[in-house]
Amino acid sequence: MTGMGAIFWREVRLAWAGGGGPAGPAAFFLAAITLAPLAIGPDPDLLAAAGPGLMAFAALLSVLQSAERLYGEDFADGTLDLYALLPLGLPLLSLAKTLGQGVATLWPLPFIALLGGLMYGVPPLPSLMLAAAMAAAIPALVLLAGFAGALAAGVRRGGLLIALIATPMMVPVLIFAAGAGRAGFEGDERALANLGLTAAVSLGTIALAPFGIAAAIRSRLG
Amino acid sequence: MLSQTADFPEMTPFEPVSLAVDGVSLSRGGLRLVSDLGFALTPGEALLLTGANGTGKTTLMRALAGLVRPDAGQVRCDRPVEDAIAWLGHSDGLKPGESLRLALRFWADIHGTSRKAILPLMRQLDIVPLIDRPAGQLSRGQQRRAGLVRAALANRPVWLLDEPAGPLDGAGRDRLARLVAWHRGRGGVVLAATHQTLDWPDVKHLALKAAA
Repeated sequence: MTGMGAIFWREVRLAWAGGGGPAGPAAFFLAAITLAPLAIGPDPDLLAAAGPGLMAFAALLSVLQSAERLYGEDFADGTLDLYALLPLGLPLLSLAKTLGQGVATLWPLPFIALLGGLMYGVPPLPSLMLAAAMAAAIPALVLLAGFAGALAAGVRRGGLLIALIATPMMVPVLIFAAGAGRAGFEGDERALANLGLTAAVSLGTIALAPFGIAAAIRSRLG
Repeated sequence: MLSQTADFPEMTPFEPVSLAVDGVSLSRGGLRLVSDLGFALTPGEALLLTGANGTGKTTLMRALAGLVRPDAGQVRCDRPVEDAIAWLGHSDGLKPGESLRLALRFWADIHGTSRKAILPLMRQLDIVPLIDRPAGQLSRGQQRRAGLVRAALANRPVWLLDEPAGPLDGAGRDRLARLVAWHRGRGGVVLAATHQTLDWPDVKHLALKAAA
């Protein structure tokens, strides 16, 4: 467990030191939700109705956007070889590493989603629901991106591969997280159920994805 | 300065460990590189692996570390790989934006080695003044020295070093030789792939030849 803590904090530190921390995904997310209304048009009802779905969709894309770095850099600089030789084992290691990256780079997303919801004219409570759903979705999103990133580590044009692998697997999280925000906006009591399902997908991903990431790393190193 | 005479850190000798390779065959990208190779190393021994480019030195080292599965034969070590191997590959495993201090602390912690060992080892490789520099600002040779410190901090009995002296200058090679002698003195085993002639005392040699 101490090993997991060391890996987690190193990832957090490295994300700030070399990668600009949360700036990349946050800027991408902000740009997406600021530009969308310009394309959709100024109708307030339409914007408020589209807001939750748009927010969840933009968050998914901003997670994907940084997925290539997640394992690609460790593969290129030899760190992955060293990690594979640690007694901690690759599944726990990849869980700590991926969540460390997720926490360090994606923490602003729920806050931006909250502000974004208000900006789109979604009332405060449904906006909060949307932000909570976003927070619940982040572990699943980042681990799935990590799995795709590990499979694509060291592959040329890995970004394309990541998009093809991760996008279909992210469908359930997208549906539940956006559903929580949408149902909240419509005053539907299914909002909480959707939030619960989002959290359930995240927990399931936490339990399963590390083994997938570990196997992907092994096959990339071999 | 003390750097010339300073001692190596106090670290206990290793439990005896042996490494044996039996009838190992390896291939890379469908091409057979090594066939039916066998050797054994006992505590304190060192083996220099030589051979032209592409004869399978790195692949053999990766097989010893358990990163590559041999086509045939087996690598036997009386301890699990994670508790036996310290690895220094082509790349040094350093992060360009991370200072040596933070990087080496991390590697010491994760291997359960005391942080007190960091400075004496850095002194041995003459990189103490670089401790707060990000690895990306170091020269290749300085990075290699830092990689050697990292491998030593792993406190594992079997060192697998891929071209350890590649970017090192003459003084660096002497320091590498001293580091290796210290490790062997603790009962460690060293296996190094090299193109350079390393005049380490009392070493075995193994030359890999291009497959027919």
